[in-house]
Amino acid sequence: MKPLDLGCISEGSDVALPQILDGICADFGLDYAAYAGVNTIDNSIHGVVNYPDAWKEHYVEHGFQAIDPTLIMASRSVGVVDWTRLQETEGFHTVFRDAADFGIGTKGLTIPVRGPYGDRGMFSVVRECSEGEWSSLRREIISGLQTQATLFHDRLMRHGRTMAAMRQPALSEREKEILQWIAAGKSQPDIGVILTISTRTVEVHLRSVREKLGALTTPQAVARAIGMGLIYPI
Amino acid sequence: MILVVDALNKHLHSDILDEMFRLRARVFGDRLGWDVQIENGREIDAFDYLDPAYVIGLDESDRVVACVRALQTTGPHMLADVFSDILQGQAPLRSATIWESTRFCVDTDALEMSGRGVGTVSRATCELMVGSLEYARASGIEDIITVIDPVMNRVLKRSDNAPYDYVGATVQMGKTKALAALLDCSEERIARVRAFAGIEGDVFLDEQALAKRRAGRVKAALDCGTMPAGVAQYLIEQIDAAMSVTEISAALSLAEDLLGPVAVPAVKSLAKG
Repeated sequence: MKPLDLGCISEGSDVALPQILDGICADFGLDYAAYAGVNTIDNSIHGVVNYPDAWKEHYVEHGFQAIDPTLIMASRSVGVVDWTRLQETEGFHTVFRDAADFGIGTKGLTIPVRGPYGDRGMFSVVRECSEGEWSSLRREIISGLQTQATLFHDRLMRHGRTMAAMRQPALSEREKEILQWIAAGKSQPDIGVILTISTRTVEVHLRSVREKLGALTTPQAVARAIGMGLIYPI
Repeated sequence: MILVVDALNKHLHSDILDEMFRLRARVFGDRLGWDVQIENGREIDAFDYLDPAYVIGLDESDRVVACVRALQTTGPHMLADVFSDILQGQAPLRSATIWESTRFCVDTDALEMSGRGVGTVSRATCELMVGSLEYARASGIEDIITVIDPVMNRVLKRSDNAPYDYVGATVQMGKTKALAALLDCSEERIARVRAFAGIEGDVFLDEQALAKRRAGRVKAALDCGTMPAGVAQYLIEQIDAAMSVTEISAALSLAEDLLGPVAVPAVKSLAKG
């Protein structure tokens, strides 16, 4: 595997990506965010960060990508990795002792992302704050952040025509049926009654639909599904 | 108590994982007659090589009594690749906040029953349910899709942990049937299972304490004197000098390798089943 160069954005990807990270940081109350991922099919490596330029240069210059446990270790986890879990590792001290000089704290977490073709990514965020603040912030943002991390990963993995074709969203009949009822103006409880399933079942399918269509909201998912001919316009 | 083992700490718990694979072989291969591959008395499949997370229940002597495996639904998982019959050819759910849970099992031989009334559910079963729901919830997971058999489905219902719905169909799998159930990871559900089994306080065990107990057992075995005194003394010094969980684990593994199976009598007695 080629070393990850987090200082630059991978070829062919959107230049606006660091701005997307800025938006995520603003929404979730975070200082900085970083994404790194490997596409196992075309072997491309992607890295996007919104850290200060001075820290990016320092990081790459010292080859921290080879020892940073928030990258190497955390990507193999299933659950979110709070950096407290990595503090015992050697690399952590080396990287974060220097990070402190650039005003970057140690309260952070890494969200591992897995895609359907063995592709993996990691999305990490950091915030300088007290222990108490961090644990309540963490609880509050973790579900939303998981979703954002996966959307971000999927977006990068879809770049290029072959990748986009391979990642055509496959919706189940149930998912299409529910989305069609949403397009017809029905509420989630209504759809539950119509299909004799629980409201939560409706909700869980819509969450899956949004993920598959790379949509942040259900209206956006409806628009995309109509555009792709997956459901009928009403 | 509950221990979560994933790619980050599996090198510290290889003995526990090995015991877990043997438990799975006894339950899924011998008792339930599922169509699983067993080699050397261990049930291991392709998904075990994909760095899953295991939520493992241990008894007071740190023996494995229950386990379950979690994988993200965004990546390769069993419903997408193996249990596709259940989904009747339909695409699986995919969400960053839905995990798939498979291979839920409990060592029924090694357990006393607790709970209430007719058809009780063991405390170990409930503790594993609480542990897996809490671990998922702490990771921002909102729902779990779980592949189970009808017996487990009844166990879930009896322990006030009934699925809120099912996906796909119930299909034949070896000697039994399999189905996919949905469980939310809400605080309400966790509170219901805790209340049912009378589980209070933290169910997760302290890895530092676990390492110390293991050190005690290994040192006791070294003291028994099957090994040259100088070697035993050296190994005990190594264990005592270890600072971190990683160092203790390395020292203990060395001692256990030299001692052979004597160091872990608990595991030996379990292996008969």
